[in-house]
Amino acid sequence: MKILILGAGAVGGYWGARLHQSGADVTFLLREKRAEKVRKDGLVVKSPKGDAVVPAKVVTKGSEGGPYDIVVLACKAYDLDSAMDSIAPAVGSGTTIVPMLNGHAHFATLDAKFGAARVAGGLARISGMLGPNGEILHSGASGVSFGERDGKPARASLVELEAACKKAGIEGGINANINQDLWDKWIMLATIAGMCSSMRGTVGDIMETEDGEAIVLETLDESCKVATAEGHAPSDKVLAGLRTMLTAKGSKAVASILGDMEKGGAAEGKQIVGDMLGRARKHGIAAPNLRFAYTHLQTYEARRARGGLK
Amino acid sequence: MKILILGAGAIGGYVGGRLHQSGADVTFLVRDKRNEALTRDGLVIKSTKGDITQKVKTVTKATDGGPYDIVLLTCKAYDLDSAIDAIAPAIGAGTTIVPLLNGMRHIDVLATKFGDAKVVGGLARVGVAMNGKGEILHTSPFAAISFGERGAAPARPALVALDAAIKKSGVDGGLNANIVQDLWDKWIMLCTLAATCCLMRGASGDILEADEGQAIVLETVDEGRKVAAAAGHDPGEKGLATIRSFLTVKGSKFTASMLHDLEKGAMVEADHVVGDMIARARKAGIATPNLRMAYAHLQVYLAQRARKRA
Repeated sequence: MKILILGAGAVGGYWGARLHQSGADVTFLLREKRAEKVRKDGLVVKSPKGDAVVPAKVVTKGSEGGPYDIVVLACKAYDLDSAMDSIAPAVGSGTTIVPMLNGHAHFATLDAKFGAARVAGGLARISGMLGPNGEILHSGASGVSFGERDGKPARASLVELEAACKKAGIEGGINANINQDLWDKWIMLATIAGMCSSMRGTVGDIMETEDGEAIVLETLDESCKVATAEGHAPSDKVLAGLRTMLTAKGSKAVASILGDMEKGGAAEGKQIVGDMLGRARKHGIAAPNLRFAYTHLQTYEARRARGGLK
Repeated sequence: MKILILGAGAIGGYVGGRLHQSGADVTFLVRDKRNEALTRDGLVIKSTKGDITQKVKTVTKATDGGPYDIVLLTCKAYDLDSAIDAIAPAIGAGTTIVPLLNGMRHIDVLATKFGDAKVVGGLARVGVAMNGKGEILHTSPFAAISFGERGAAPARPALVALDAAIKKSGVDGGLNANIVQDLWDKWIMLCTLAATCCLMRGASGDILEADEGQAIVLETVDEGRKVAAAAGHDPGEKGLATIRSFLTVKGSKFTASMLHDLEKGAMVEADHVVGDMIARARKAGIATPNLRMAYAHLQVYLAQRARKRA
């Protein structure tokens, strides 16, 4: 089975490196600059589960090295359009696309371009970031899960991908409940990204204010109503877990989007918060807190576009 | 007429400097360090209306040089308590206190401490800053202060004399029969600007780039208007139109000074400018969802700042 991974950031890079180490046939599709670096230095992984320098196969065009059975999309959501152009030549009649993006907006886009049958659901729980020299600094969780979005038994290539993951020490694997899990994760992300960005602090910082806990729980409720209207209400158990996690006093939990913003980088505001707000509107659900958060994120983009406050 | 000015910061330094220059009897009440610098270097003003370096009268205790007819308060709202302690010995039976602070709460605090009759209303409109060398940099084309009785009575002789001194000094403004309404109007504008610029972390024009930025700004104006109306000081359609048009200029780089303070890690007048508006709204049963969100943002900042300094 041939696997193509677009992107060698924390998620794609860590996952692909471990697959490669355990003997899977993995190729990375990278931009010229990143490709050159990885070709020269290998894929450098620093991880509590063991450091590694992996001499990964790299291409810069989707037309090279294919056809592929699996194409993993491990880009940021705002790079989806260029990522689709890049992978298009690598997608054949038997290819399954496994997107690991946040939010839900990418499914409609991918379905329209490649056909819904080719697009599985995917969810990453790999925590890490890229270091200053492009090394992958893996810091904790190392799970991915994927599955059929309609809940049917997994196709053969996903079963094979699961076996490869198990061999590579990657937790997770096939997930019969992927669509609901994606919604659950999105509810959590929309809340934590919306709150940490618009309040510019960690969960614990927000809990120190008079109305912080109430504001966070209202925001979670707004997202839950959207998920419910879309037919994907979280279970009571999931909801209780989210409530606890998002209101933990002293918590240092923070959305990675805040780190992106504090560096002045691009942020997935539209995909994580904007799309949730858009769906709230469509269903006639009031979402005042998501509205504040998205306005904050749009203001950030406007300020970033003109290069600062002055 | 003897005038005491608490502090020789941006506004106090500029207004006091111009009064002194034009022959008024002005004394600055300053801390030891500032006293040394002023004694050594004089008060330095660099201004669109002409530069000047001049020797000025200073005291480090309010017991010196009094009694004073006018005490001009130009401190930040969060320094009000220490300012009250500092000026207390200078307040005699015939003293009038003219505070030039933002918001309204300081008036109640001062009236409680010194007696209602001693405290008049005052408002500064001076685009001025102080640099690291203690020089007053007046960069804007305007420099005005206005003041007046808070009740319907005609201005007391001390204010009439201050009006004459201000006119002689070339500072604009002077007696204002409408000072309380003007204070409310300015507070609504300032509260909206500070709340929205800080909550969204952008200039006025950045916020207006967001889909709902203008709507959020106008809702916030309305929250302030309702609070003012409940206090008997509705700005009226004309006053509102001025505030609204000021805050909805597309492409405007106009930014609350509170955002600059916040991004420098400095103290902010959050409680005075935003918190007090919310407190008055609650008392009057007025909903202020936008101010609530902004205040939570400011409280997150203050909690982070306190922790960093601890």
